[in-house]
Amino acid sequence: MAGFLERITERWKVYREPGFFKKLDHKWTMVIDLDKCNGCGACVLACYAENNLPVVGKDECAMSRAFSWLRIERYIDGEYPDVKVKFIPVMCQHCSKAPCETGCPVYATYHNQDGLNVQVYNRCVGTFTCATYCPYDVRRFNWRSYKFEQPLDHQLNPDVTVREMGVMEKCTFCIQRIRAAKDKAKDEGRTVQDGEVLPACVQSCPTGAMIFGDLLDPNSKAAKLAKSPRRYRLLEELNADPSVIYLKRVMKEGPSKHG
Amino acid sequence: MKYFIAYVSVAVITFALGYKAYGLYFSDLSPVQPIPFSHKIHAGTNKIPCMYCHIYAEKSRHAGVPNVKRCMGCHSIIKTDSPLIQKLASYWEKKEPIPWVKVYNLPDHVYFPHKRHVKAGVPCQRCHGDVANMDRITREVVPFGLPYGMVSPLKMGWCIECHNNEAQKYIGTPVKNGTDCWTCHK
Repeated sequence: MAGFLERITERWKVYREPGFFKKLDHKWTMVIDLDKCNGCGACVLACYAENNLPVVGKDECAMSRAFSWLRIERYIDGEYPDVKVKFIPVMCQHCSKAPCETGCPVYATYHNQDGLNVQVYNRCVGTFTCATYCPYDVRRFNWRSYKFEQPLDHQLNPDVTVREMGVMEKCTFCIQRIRAAKDKAKDEGRTVQDGEVLPACVQSCPTGAMIFGDLLDPNSKAAKLAKSPRRYRLLEELNADPSVIYLKRVMKEGPSKHG
Repeated sequence: MKYFIAYVSVAVITFALGYKAYGLYFSDLSPVQPIPFSHKIHAGTNKIPCMYCHIYAEKSRHAGVPNVKRCMGCHSIIKTDSPLIQKLASYWEKKEPIPWVKVYNLPDHVYFPHKRHVKAGVPCQRCHGDVANMDRITREVVPFGLPYGMVSPLKMGWCIECHNNEAQKYIGTPVKNGTDCWTCHK
């Protein structure tokens, strides 16, 4: 028995090394232009609709169990006439050297060949380790089996499982849409093209602040924007190498005109 | 100690037999359908190809159950005096779908596209058994009058085994990313 466990641990050790996949098929990246973001929250709503997220209600939210995979952080500087407001949409950063992956005892979260940090719901036993290791606080835990009442169950997305109690979950970069795009590309005998994969948040963004693309494809819109001088990533000093790239909001010095 | 081992081994063997028997005899491997449709007559004797009725198999994730119109396409002319065909016709007149019972039911967390497998050249019989010789669709294999095993267990190891080894027969290589969790799970 001990030998069996050892063998499994040995085999899985390689997956834990950063850069196990030397040659990725894709490197999905999201570029978020904070100059364009006006904090409307359409992306949050789209995420709820696409990924079968339950609305947990006031009491649960008070216990910080709100279920949004994607949240909008607000930063407000200054007093009333001179207020500067900044919005930062924060979802799972899909770190290339993800801290959460090192913690899971059952290997339910791992890195796949698309450069995505994925969560396997069936394998998850709910130890909460990944959520404690995550510096961005983007992992959400199913504290109970949330019910979708009668008319609401008709709006569930059939491509996404409804998770049950005791399972950790997080943003998947809408992996079901990536899969659908790959499926279509395979039928037509080509590779996935730029702009073909649109996660729900990107699709719904009214100002076009979010751009999704393949960083390995040098001609993609996201790869070009990723070289912008305004580029930064959240908590870069932690060296987690996130896949979500933010473009800094440039604001004028001094009092703002808009009040 | 000797008795202990004997008791434990008897318990283990009984459990194993019971588990096997439960799977074979007490789970619904060949459910009764609302109309006793015979694949033996349609696919076996008359050699109607699978895709004639299950039209979505090469286009979509689901193989699809044919609509009543497709049945009535032939049966408004053929064998209209049979009582079973009249039962079919009553569904047609009531404009109701026939409540067929699903036999091969995958859990919700599995993403299985029929399209990919049909296009790769996996024959339908690989997973669904020799349907052309079945009167009622069954998942049991009955070699000598005794139910022996299942046509396809629909377990994860069974899927992976084909993705790694048998796939070489159809596409020449193991399935690309065929063992990545998110290829089949959702």
